[in-house]
Amino acid sequence: MTSKEVEGLLKKGRAYAIRTKYKEALAYYDKALSLAPGNPEAWYLRAAVFIETSRNAEALKDCERAIALNQNYADAWSKKGHALYNLERFEDAVFACTRALALNGNDASAWYIKGVCLDELGRNDEAQEAYGKSLELEIILDMEAEKKKVGK
Amino acid sequence: MKTEMPLSKPIRLFVKQTEDILDTEISLLRNPDADPNGTLVDIYTFNIERNVIIFPAHYIGLLKDFIIAKHCVNLLIKGAAVKKSQYLVCSFTGDSVYQGIHQIYLDALKDEAKKEKKLPVQKLIQMLNILYSDFNDDINELPWNPITNARVYHKMPKIRKTQLYYLMKEGKMDMDEMMEFEDIIPRRYFVLNKAMFYARDQYLAKTLPADQLMPVVNIPQMKKFNHLEVKEMLTTRWTHTSWYQSKVFGDTMLEIMEKYLQKIDWNAEPSLDYYHEIYQIGVNMTNHFISYMSMKGWFVWESPKHLQQAREKKAEYEFDALKKIFGDLIEKSEINGDVKP
Repeated sequence: MTSKEVEGLLKKGRAYAIRTKYKEALAYYDKALSLAPGNPEAWYLRAAVFIETSRNAEALKDCERAIALNQNYADAWSKKGHALYNLERFEDAVFACTRALALNGNDASAWYIKGVCLDELGRNDEAQEAYGKSLELEIILDMEAEKKKVGK
Repeated sequence: MKTEMPLSKPIRLFVKQTEDILDTEISLLRNPDADPNGTLVDIYTFNIERNVIIFPAHYIGLLKDFIIAKHCVNLLIKGAAVKKSQYLVCSFTGDSVYQGIHQIYLDALKDEAKKEKKLPVQKLIQMLNILYSDFNDDINELPWNPITNARVYHKMPKIRKTQLYYLMKEGKMDMDEMMEFEDIIPRRYFVLNKAMFYARDQYLAKTLPADQLMPVVNIPQMKKFNHLEVKEMLTTRWTHTSWYQSKVFGDTMLEIMEKYLQKIDWNAEPSLDYYHEIYQIGVNMTNHFISYMSMKGWFVWESPKHLQQAREKKAEYEFDALKKIFGDLIEKSEINGDVKP
């Protein structure tokens, strides 16, 4: 199995995940992981599906596998923050999001989850700052989406 | 509520409160093709088991939260109406469609008399139908918009900047509505349509204190409004359109809006009674708008189910109305023809 073929499996998995067909997506990710356990993206993608299906402990484990394979994997840190938030481990989630943002400061989702967790911890000023950054990035995303729509 | 989406604390609590007050369940759904305003599919309107709030997939943070908050207020108003009395909407019947279309036709004739280039019959027919439907949609939505916005503003201070962005965006969309029909719609209706949105924008500009809604200056879209207050932002935009004449009607509509909405205590503790009172105020305000726009008889207050069934029969109602107006001159093919403005 070549890396191109693994990439094909991940692509199919992603296509199913976008359409919320998580069972099918998981089947492709599982297959990809059985063939290429050293692929951090495959762990990350499976973690994303685990989160959507309320399997947060498993999502956390997968994020940690992805990060172990690539310490600078910003999306995996961000997803780890999300899993930790769902597990109500707010302090740990803030740490994971901070790490994600150090690697990619333009991750609107990580800023938002950080804000939400800080809010839960009663750190209001810090939460407002994180929400502010998240909103700025989200608005830019929204404007890009509008432009695409107009283009279509 | 069951969701794996992160939600900011005030929104999470508000969704929970909504569910508790109404004794119902709310699901959240992300959809790439969702309407930018989000959609509320509720048990009071549709024959379904639980309420669903749908929003665009790229709304991942506070934009999503704002949409959820807004629709929770809508849901509370509908639910309170159902539980305390009856939830009614502006629906239509064959007779009311005739009254509306006939009035638009008479006004169109007056406009057409002044035009050198007359509107082809098919375009005229299409315009009558579209305009009637648009006013039906707007009258069912617009009066509730300032209510939900004001309530969200007072209830959730943490998402006010998001609300500001959203209002600017929504205002722009509403301002652009119908522009492609500019040349064919009777002036009176174009002005009335814009006036409704003008009134909404002005009311919100007055209601939402500017000091807390200062623009987020780092956002490119907001930069041109730097140093302006919210009221100035919304006013500046309206005064720079060709529809400035909407101001005359819009100011009267604003007075109507203020007359009714000043009765609401925006900071009151939420309860079924509170939201039911808001519902009744919204209904009275809607009636006043209908009367001001001389559209009495155009719509009937009926159940949401009645409106759904009326929409299914819309083509039939329109054909019958046109037949009454044009007599045998009208053929079904003329109505169904693929006519573009």
